[in-house]
This record gives sequence, structure tokens and C-alpha cells, in this order.
Amino acid sequence: MNPLGRSWLLLSGFVLFYVIYLLFGGLVFSSLERPVEEQLRRDVDALKRRFLNQSCVSAAALEHFVGQVLAANRYGVAVYPNASNWDLTSAMFFANTLVTTVGYGHTTPLSDAGKLFSVAYAVLGVPFTMLVLTACVQRLMRPLVAAPLRLLRRCGLDARPAAGVHFLALLALVLLCLFAAPAAVFGVVEGGWSFLDGFYFCFISLCTIGLGDLVPAAKPGQRFKQLYQVAVMVYLFVGLMMMYLLLRTFHKMADLHGLTAYLQLPRCEESDHDDDREPIVENGQSAATHKRPSYNSISER
Amino acid sequence: MAAPDLLDPKCAAHNAKPRLSFSANPAAVLTRGGGGGEDADDDERDGVRFSVMRWKTVSAIFVLVVLYLVIGATVFRVLEQPHESLQKAAILAQKLEFLAAHACVNSSDLEDLVKQVVSAIRAGVNPSGRSSNQSSLWDLSSSFFFAGTVITTIGFGNTSPHTEGGRIFCVVYALMGIPLFGFLLAGVGDQLGTFFGKAIARVEKMIVKWKVSQTKIRVISTLLFILFGCLIFVALPAVIFRHIEGWSALEAIYFVVITLTTIGFGDFVAGEKGGSESPDSEYLKYYKPVVWFWILVGLAYFAAVLSMIGDWFRVISKKTKEEVGEFRAHAAEWTANVSAEFKETRRRLSVDIYDRFQRAASIKRKLSSELGISASVGQEMTPGKRTLSANLGEERDAYANLTLSLAPGALTRNGSLFLNGLSPDFAQRLEVAVVENAK
Repeated sequence: MNPLGRSWLLLSGFVLFYVIYLLFGGLVFSSLERPVEEQLRRDVDALKRRFLNQSCVSAAALEHFVGQVLAANRYGVAVYPNASNWDLTSAMFFANTLVTTVGYGHTTPLSDAGKLFSVAYAVLGVPFTMLVLTACVQRLMRPLVAAPLRLLRRCGLDARPAAGVHFLALLALVLLCLFAAPAAVFGVVEGGWSFLDGFYFCFISLCTIGLGDLVPAAKPGQRFKQLYQVAVMVYLFVGLMMMYLLLRTFHKMADLHGLTAYLQLPRCEESDHDDDREPIVENGQSAATHKRPSYNSISER
Repeated sequence: MAAPDLLDPKCAAHNAKPRLSFSANPAAVLTRGGGGGEDADDDERDGVRFSVMRWKTVSAIFVLVVLYLVIGATVFRVLEQPHESLQKAAILAQKLEFLAAHACVNSSDLEDLVKQVVSAIRAGVNPSGRSSNQSSLWDLSSSFFFAGTVITTIGFGNTSPHTEGGRIFCVVYALMGIPLFGFLLAGVGDQLGTFFGKAIARVEKMIVKWKVSQTKIRVISTLLFILFGCLIFVALPAVIFRHIEGWSALEAIYFVVITLTTIGFGDFVAGEKGGSESPDSEYLKYYKPVVWFWILVGLAYFAAVLSMIGDWFRVISKKTKEEVGEFRAHAAEWTANVSAEFKETRRRLSVDIYDRFQRAASIKRKLSSELGISASVGQEMTPGKRTLSANLGEERDAYANLTLSLAPGALTRNGSLFLNGLSPDFAQRLEVAVVENAK
């Protein structure tokens, strides 16, 4: 089969598989969550009925009131007194969730100007943050990837097993330091979080999904709130960096094992348009000058 | 390499957000010459061609990011806190009003109720209205939507799993789904890029006939890309959302940007209104899948745009560095020149001084060997020695003058030949050296 046909086939295969995967996920979530939701609904109904029974409040008035609370909460206004969502560290936390694209949504801009500014801030800040993360990861690749690989090869392993061993070791390290340990810390510091909750939060944040159902430092009356928020921001940054490093290592490993070539996927290449780099060894720079097909090249590809 | 390829969506998928899943540079797909041999080479080359970004660059960028965050925080605070206070005051007033209107409710009961309502909301249940006529947040289509928000890492959060099983499954699901979506996005980005590329190539062919310069063509291509992309992926959906969801124009654009950059706050979510409110639930069935498709393609477009902006940052920083580098290079060159001159002068002088010293030493030896005396001053001289010394007086004078000339600061420029005992050619050489230095 010619390569073009093959790539189309692969693409449609991916799309199909993606749709099936989504359906499957939908089914499972539905069956897991729906009963709980029903139960909660019934509880709220009971609560309302209880409230109505023992007081002079009419149902309409109650609904109206609940609607107002809902509106206030939806806008992220802290319904409890003495807590602001927009003091300096909280605002910085918000800006951080914006530029790392995590986007919890526990606070969102209310004013029109705030929304407009968020748009502009994100459009500039997201690529900027990606640049920073890339830069840091490239710097980290040397001590965390190249050096251990060299060590392993000196111990007599071939390139492929060495890459595999190294990747597993890195994975274990990341799991321990960036998931298990912070999860334990969150479990202790946040009152109502179990270890699983902490782990779930770490995972959802570091994949930048950021559902926002669990957010640290959001409890009213949290002690050392500012410090805590700054610590979480640092954790997010380091965590994102390590996740990206992990992915890059995996990609390189997949390259070595020929997976990416087989699936006609992009290879992991060192980005070759950075000249703020110092070559570690002099004689290799000519390698990565593949000509990239560009939009504005008039020539035939 | 000239200016980075601004329009390349391949660069885009390479650099932008989906990189956190799996899509690295898809351009390599097209340029991949022949698999096997290259792999072996690359193994070696990988080990050899590793290069590292300088620490200075990294720390500079890091400082910039922190600064950016602080600035953003201050601006957000200034913009949002007044509004928040207003809302807070409003809800307080509403509470008080409720308490006043209904005398049998006391404030602690009310607080209780509020807390329960809030936790119900946090759990994802809408506590207003009666539960029977509300659609579930976890029916199949909503769960499908939720699964999608997880995989694309948008993560709105308006629905989220609350059971333990749900959460564990979410983690495992995301682990496998995010890379999968990354592949898909890379593929879609490729197709999008091809499509746009062909269109723009045709436009460029037209423009080239007008004999416009290469940079101008590039700029025009970029602008076209941005314009058309925004039209198709931002403006059009915003209009549709405005119409269907009833949002304002700003809110619609805000939703589009927040979703397509995968930030996904969840304060605005398309298709959230569900079945209970709107009467035309018929076309709402098709609405969500269309929203989904739009998100998929729009993500690829935004990845391209964001990486383009990233490239611009790179270009700006490179240009700044070039200018700074040029300046530094000039300064370094000047310094190097001056110090070279200085060294050269010193070298010549020291050679001459050494010569003179050697000559003086040899004359001394001659004197001492012929007079039989040492060259120290103030010694008794026999008449014979005195005669000899008178004969050698000239040379002694010369010698004395030479010692004088060896003293520091004796190298005056007044050009008089024998005032300081310098031979004519030495004087000339010195003057020449001094003049050269002064250049």
C-alpha cells in the first residue's frame, strides 16, 4: 500500500478508535456516577422539604433564594464571608491556571474587562509558558536523560534496553515524587481529602485537565493560605515540566524501538531553530536540518 | 536558517499544547527519507548532537514568566475585586432580605441551608427546580461530552466524578486517552496544514506576479492565515453560540478562546442548558456533536496560532540578542585591538631594553677585564687605571648615559639624540611605536 493511502487509513483508524473510546468512557462514567447523582438530588429535595415544613417560607421564595445562591456560587463568589478570591496570591494562582491551561474554574473573571483581559493574557501567556517549559526541559534532559543513558550503556546495556530501563526508572521517580508524596501532603493539609482525592487532584492538574472539583487552598479559614497557594503553583510548574520530560523520554524511546516510524508518527527531534544553545560535542549540528514544508513555500513538496 | 517558519502548523503541533500529549513534529513524516538506515545513524547522532540551552537563557525566561504572572495577578485583582465585593454585598443583602421577609427562619438555619446548597452545587447537582423534570448530568451524551473534556485536557469541570470508582477510572482513562487524542490532533493538524498550505500557495502564486518581496509575501500569508482561521474557528462559532446559548458577544469569544486553548474554566459551557429549558431540543441533539467537531479542528488551529506566537517571541529574543551581541562584539574587538597594540609596544620596548642591557653588561665586562677593576663607583684608581679610564671615558660616558636611559621615565620624546643616550634609530623606533600606540 502506498504511503499516502496508508496514512489516510491510519488517520481514519485513529478517528474511529477515538470515537469508540469516547463512547466507552461515556458509558462507564454514566453507570458509575448516575446513581450517586440521583441520591444527591433526593437529599437536596428532602432538605428543602424539611426547611419548608418547619418555617413560614413559601416554596417560591425558597426557590428564588436558592437561585440567587446558585448564581453567586456560579460566579465563584465566595459565599462565605472573609474570603476573597482575588487577593494577590489568589489572583496569581488564577493567572497561573490560565497560562498553564489547567483552568480549574473555581474562580473566574466576573467583569467584562476581566474577561477581555483574560483572553489577551491567555493568547500571549500560553505560548510563553510553553516556551519556558520547553526551555527548562531541554536543560533538564542532560542530567536526567543523557547522563543516565550514558551510564547505563557503559554498564553494557544496548541502546534499546537502556532506554527502556531508564524510562521505567524515571516513571517510578515521577510517580513517587510528584504524585504519591504530594497526594499524602494534600491529604494531611486539606481537611476533607483522602489519599485518593489527593492523587486524583495531582493527576488532573498535571495533565492540565483541571476539572476544578478539588482545588487546594479553597477552604475558608485556611491557615497560611498565601504560602500554600504559592507552594501549589511551584508544584504545578515543576510537575508540568516533569510530565513533559517524561513524555519526551517516552517519545525518544518509542523512536528507538521503531514504533513511531511504524505508525508513521512524528519522530522526536531536537528543535533545531534554537541558537541559544551550546553544543556539548562539536560535531553534530548538521544532523537535524530537515527541510520543513512550510505554508509559504511555492515549490512543490 | 532565516526567520523561523511562522506559518508552519507542523511547527505548531510540534511546539504547542498538544505536545503535552504526544504530537511532536509531524513535518518529519513528510521528510522522512528512508527508515532503517537513518535510524542507525540517528542513534549515534542522538548521542553526539545533544546540545543544551544556556543557563542564562533559561533563567532569563523564567524571571520573565514570574514577572508576567505578577503583572497579571495585579491587573486581575484591580479589575475583579470591586466586582466581587459588589456580588458579595448583593448576596448578603439577599440573605438579609430573606430573613426579614420570613420571620420564622433564623440565620443559623439559613446558613445551614446555604452550605448544603453550595455543596450540592459543588457535587454537580443543580438544587433549584424540582428534580423530576431535570435531565441528568450523566446521561449518555453528557458523559460522552465529559469524556471528551477529559481527553482533550480542556476539563470544564461543570461535571466531574465524585465516586471513588469514577475518579480512579477517570485517572486511568485519561492516561490512555490523552496520548490517543494527541495522535489524532497531530493528524488533524497535518490535514489542516495541507489544506491551508495549498490555498495559500495558490494565493502566493498570484501575489508573486505583482513582484512583491519575499518578506512581504510571508507577512501577507501569516495575516491571511490568522484572518481566515479566526473567521472560521472563532467568529463563526461565537455568533452561533451567541444565538443558541444567549451569551453576549464578549462571553462567546471568551468561551471560544478559553476552550480552544484548553484552559476550560467551565463558567461557560456550550450545550449545558440541557433539555429542561429550551424547547428546541430537537436540534440540540446535533448541537453537541457539532460542538465537538469544532473543538477538535479548532484545537489544531489554535495550536498553530499559539506556536506562531511562540516563534515570534523567539525571533524577538533572537533579534535582541543579536543586537546586544553585535554591540558586545564591537566592544570586544576594540578592547582586543587596544590591548594587542599595547602588548606589541611593550614587547618591542622590552626587547630593546634587553638589548641595551646586554650591551651595557658586555661593556662592563670589557671595562672590568681591561682595567682589572670592578665597575662599582668610587674606587681608588691607580694612575695607570686612570689613563685607561680616560681613554675609555667616552665609552664610560656612553655607559653612564645608557644606565640613565634605562631608568624609567627616561624615554622622553624630545628627540635630542644624545641627551638621553639613545641611538638615533632607537629614538626613531620608539617614536614610531608611540605614534602607533596613539592610533
